[in-house]
Amino acid sequence: MILQALNRYYERSGNMPREGWVRRGVDYVIVLDRQGACVDLESVAELRNGKTVPSERLVTAIGKQAMKHTNSGKDANLLWDNASFVFGKGNKGDIKLASFIDTLEHWLGGVSDPGVQAVKLFCRKLQAHPSDADALIERFQFKDDFDKRDPVLIFRLADDIESIHLRPPVRAAYEEMLTTTRSDSPLRGNCLVSGLTAVPLAPNESVIKGVWGGQPAGCNIVSFNARAFESYGKRERNGENAPISVQASFAYTTALNHLLSSRQRIQVGDASTVFWAEEPHDLENAIPDLFGDPPKDDPDKNIRAVETLYSAVHTGKFVQGGPDTRFHVLGLSPNAARISIRFWETASAMELGRRIKQHFDDLEIAHADYEPRYLSLFRLLTGVALLHKADNIPPTLGGEIMRAILGGLPYPAQLLNLAVIRCRAEQKPTYARAAAIKASLNRLIRSRRTHEKEFMPVLDPANTNSAYRLGRLFATLEKVQEEASPGLNATIRDRYYGAASSTPVSVFTTLLRLKNHHLGKLSPGRATQMEKLIGAILAEVADFPKLLPLPDQGRFALGYYHQRQAFFTKSETKNQENAQ
Amino acid sequence: MKTYCLELSGPYACFTRPELKVERVSYDVMTPSAARACFEAILWKPAIRWHVRRIEVLKPVRWINLRRNEVASVVSTRNVETAMKTGTGDLGIYIEDDRQQRAGLFLRDVAYRVHADLEFRREHDPAGNPQKYQEMFERRAGKGQCVNQPYLGCREFAAAFRLLVSPNSEPAAIAETRDLGFMLHDLDFSNRADPQPRFFRAQLASGVVEVPPWDSEEVRG
Repeated sequence: MILQALNRYYERSGNMPREGWVRRGVDYVIVLDRQGACVDLESVAELRNGKTVPSERLVTAIGKQAMKHTNSGKDANLLWDNASFVFGKGNKGDIKLASFIDTLEHWLGGVSDPGVQAVKLFCRKLQAHPSDADALIERFQFKDDFDKRDPVLIFRLADDIESIHLRPPVRAAYEEMLTTTRSDSPLRGNCLVSGLTAVPLAPNESVIKGVWGGQPAGCNIVSFNARAFESYGKRERNGENAPISVQASFAYTTALNHLLSSRQRIQVGDASTVFWAEEPHDLENAIPDLFGDPPKDDPDKNIRAVETLYSAVHTGKFVQGGPDTRFHVLGLSPNAARISIRFWETASAMELGRRIKQHFDDLEIAHADYEPRYLSLFRLLTGVALLHKADNIPPTLGGEIMRAILGGLPYPAQLLNLAVIRCRAEQKPTYARAAAIKASLNRLIRSRRTHEKEFMPVLDPANTNSAYRLGRLFATLEKVQEEASPGLNATIRDRYYGAASSTPVSVFTTLLRLKNHHLGKLSPGRATQMEKLIGAILAEVADFPKLLPLPDQGRFALGYYHQRQAFFTKSETKNQENAQ
Repeated sequence: MKTYCLELSGPYACFTRPELKVERVSYDVMTPSAARACFEAILWKPAIRWHVRRIEVLKPVRWINLRRNEVASVVSTRNVETAMKTGTGDLGIYIEDDRQQRAGLFLRDVAYRVHADLEFRREHDPAGNPQKYQEMFERRAGKGQCVNQPYLGCREFAAAFRLLVSPNSEPAAIAETRDLGFMLHDLDFSNRADPQPRFFRAQLASGVVEVPPWDSEEVRG
């Protein structure tokens, strides 16, 4: 299913490289004259975000070496490669240079194009005098760069604009050679992606680059790199363990590489998530804005994205693309040299839009003005992590939350547990944690169809759940203490929050006794007001429980948070009234 | 050929896709080869062969992602043969050096109703008759007797089975219809040294997957 959907995406999208070509980052261009002497060595690296990145160019792809070389040194690319192959520098340099020349002869030996001749002359000269390469690099003052890493080089004739491998006669000869080599392949069978029979099978797969946390050189999805993974003794014959045709293998790896390097990807915990629709669609462009943090120069971007989504769901139409277009979301996570599929969701675009809207509805909770209106996934995850650090997010949590959002399922239990534990550890329910607790509890109520009332975004005075009311009571008692002794460093929250939320009976008796002293210090009108509030809260609480289980501790945290938010908004309006 | 119906259920299942075999991803629905293995776990003799005809999905498709510690190597057959001949040998795998952590996207809470035909092959039992094997199977399945515990794709996911004598009075399958893509039908063991997989285009129609016969042209291989 997954590989077939990627295959279809490759076929419908027009701007991905065709078979035999690949997009790679190029660092330098060697400019040659027609006699094969090097006239210039230009750097084509671009400056982006303060870092030099190689420039993406279309280059020939004669095999797997286009993405990653093997260790033999004998698999050079055609008319482009690393400095170790083109200049013959470093370990196995002479073998690599010989391989580069052989590849050129094999593929374009019969072509009498001046560009190809120039490259041949240049390389043979280098083969004869190996020290010329270093002299060349010194001449153009790139010695530091070439010593530190192995940059990618392409060629250009001095009087041309385009590179030699893109010259029309060279291109035509190359593509002709491609069709002849494609048809004779040793391994034939039936492809399990496209269903075609007796097609040449791919012996192994091109690497996928761009999965966060994987090897920089690239990882494989279909790989059988240990004895225990092979079936029926098909040793080191990947193609026979999972028969996939050459064409399908190229299609899905190109599609996946393209998606991972485009805007259509987000990072959820350790899962690199890509998404695409079967036709150009609004939702494709909206998802990075919906789930990611807005850029610093445009902080309202995700608010606008969420509001556009809400209006699309209300009207039942998207600006671009239909409501029934099939939408795919794939979550990949790295495991050294392999990629594991974290989740895979397929749904119609409208259904997905509705589920995402439901996620934001569930997460909605009262907050201070300086907090963002819609929580991004990153903020949600770091909110429940130790010290708010991304490194401390549990590895599978991001993927599970994403699956819950896209599938309309209850959030993972780990989310609720973590949120409550962090509240206890830091004695403070924050915006992200309270939102996570409210969302988890509401989805649990809905999925289990218990008769409990769902929690509202703001304080709900009519909610009779005793754990919720105890949280409210705790917040009220803390407010009383704060008003009675202004400028306190540590309130009852710092001392008693953990005990109050887990074993209320032990703590509340003391707190209710102490409150009388605090109430005595307030003005009579305010004291009566707070007494009435406490009375109203305690009216529905029959008894203080000995122990609160973890979901109830979540309700406690939610009640506390709601009441605090209510106090801060109420006192603002009250001050305004007094001032008037 | 007589048709039998078994209900198979379990908390977890993994019908691994061949291309995603290392970091396991399951097919959405039970494969015919896994269904055949469940029948064979109850009764198999050289004289009979099971042909799976229909798989009905009784519970909605739900997923779970798990990461497990496994090992990277297999016991070498050559070492085993040497040990058998000489009488001593070290066949253990030292797991500390050999660990591989593999994640898997498995199915959870699955239940299937599988219909299969019991075919009697006279060339392997010239003196026998089909009724003998039919009664053996009915007796064994009715008592819950099996050679090895039937499993849902991987051995660690044990299946509970129940012989259904009147499948029409059972609750209906889930009302889901979609295309499941190419699915593994079974492996062709005619060349023992090099088994070949064969695939078919699976369609879920109102919760039922109709499995084409092995020698039909829908099964590509």
